[in-house]
Amino acid sequence: METIELTFTLNQREVTVSVAPNRRLLDILREELHLTGTKEGCGIGECGACTVLLNGRTVNSCLILAGQAQGSEIITIEGVEKAGGKLHPLQESFLEKGAVQCGFCTPGMVLSALALLRKNSTPNVDEIREAISGNLCRCTGYKQIVEAIQAAAGKLQRK
Amino acid sequence: MQNFKFIRPENLDQACRILSENRGKVKILAGGTDVMIEMRDDKLPPSIEMVMEISHLEELRFIEDDGKNIRIGAATTHAEVAESELIRKNAPLLAEAAATVGSPQIRNRGTVAGNSITASPAADTIPPLLVLDATVVLRRGTEKREVPLRDIFTGPNQTNIGNDELVTEIYFEKLPDDTRTAFIKLARRNSAAKSRMNFAARARQNDAGEVIELRISAGSVTPSPARFNAAENILLGKIPSESLLKEAGEAVSGDMIRQSGYRWSTDYKKPVVESLTVRVLEEVLTIY
Ligand code: FES
Ligand code: FES
Repeated sequence: METIELTFTLNQREVTVSVAPNRRLLDILREELHLTGTKEGCGIGECGACTVLLNGRTVNSCLILAGQAQGSEIITIEGVEKAGGKLHPLQESFLEKGAVQCGFCTPGMVLSALALLRKNSTPNVDEIREAISGNLCRCTGYKQIVEAIQAAAGKLQRK
Repeated sequence: MQNFKFIRPENLDQACRILSENRGKVKILAGGTDVMIEMRDDKLPPSIEMVMEISHLEELRFIEDDGKNIRIGAATTHAEVAESELIRKNAPLLAEAAATVGSPQIRNRGTVAGNSITASPAADTIPPLLVLDATVVLRRGTEKREVPLRDIFTGPNQTNIGNDELVTEIYFEKLPDDTRTAFIKLARRNSAAKSRMNFAARARQNDAGEVIELRISAGSVTPSPARFNAAENILLGKIPSESLLKEAGEAVSGDMIRQSGYRWSTDYKKPVVESLTVRVLEEVLTIY
């Protein structure tokens, strides 16, 4: 099959890949670029395990066709940590508050939380719940996840 | 997944040309929230040879006020509509409906136009748009056609949009200042749940309290999206009372049963439909 060539910005670096047109952004990230932090759960836009930021907004990468990534700016969980491998305050808080159980939903949760904190630095509990309403956690640790996001918001405020 | 050629047109004219030259062979892709699932399940019709992306076309991405109408470009997302000051001010019921679609991730991709032309009985933005008397603008080649939204639905998940036509925008007239509107959706927010009933209404009353304008529509009640004229007629020209509202509720459930037949779920749905009708009417009418 013919392939298409795509160029986009991934975690602040420009990448070019050549892929079959019927691949999803999720497949490109995991299989072509070997960034396996982005997970596949349902594959139909319902669980949020595949969440990435596309032009600053959360999206399900399982619902994005390869060619749609052309020219966009994508951030995956691998792009969240600070230079030198230092964890982002959100990641620290997830660990501190016990918000990670099996960890499968965590990358998506962190990205949804990051998108929230970028536009609202002092979210209340309802706003946090709304922001992660498209991310399912099978281990059902929602309470700790909400607490972790609150704690991270606090840390970022103090900075 | 099925094989196809991926096409990313440079502009709207080119997109329309491609569509006309390859009639029946092109699947249009905008938000992808429905199309990607169809593809995954290999449900694209076998005639489809190309998938054409349109979500990057700036010409289709706008929300504007032309003085008389509010116009929404076909590639505008639910999130953009929900956040738009223009929509919140002129059509709060549509902003609210857009804010309840799917999850944040789905709202960031899915488009109001796409959601509306699925003709799905569960599409949340259809009832508000029907209540707003929305018009759909379509292009076929260089020709432009405008159709009232209510006339494009031919059945559940079916429309009369041609396979060489592209929806470019949806617009509706701005409401008179004294109009009241409401949108309500059943039960608590749950991102994954698709088919929950929702109701949309708009109304005006004169100084005497008589209803001079009323539109009611609902999602997931009838097999294809529609207005409830019988219920509207019960109240038009009258001064609303609790008993008239109740009658209107019964007219809506009557329409539902006539169109869907009596089903296993009817005993549950009938009282819910009636009380939601009353609730949405209470929000838009002053009752005497
Ligand atoms: S894998 Fe994409 S939403 Fe579940
Ligand atoms: S920690 Fe296991 S799915 Fe959320």
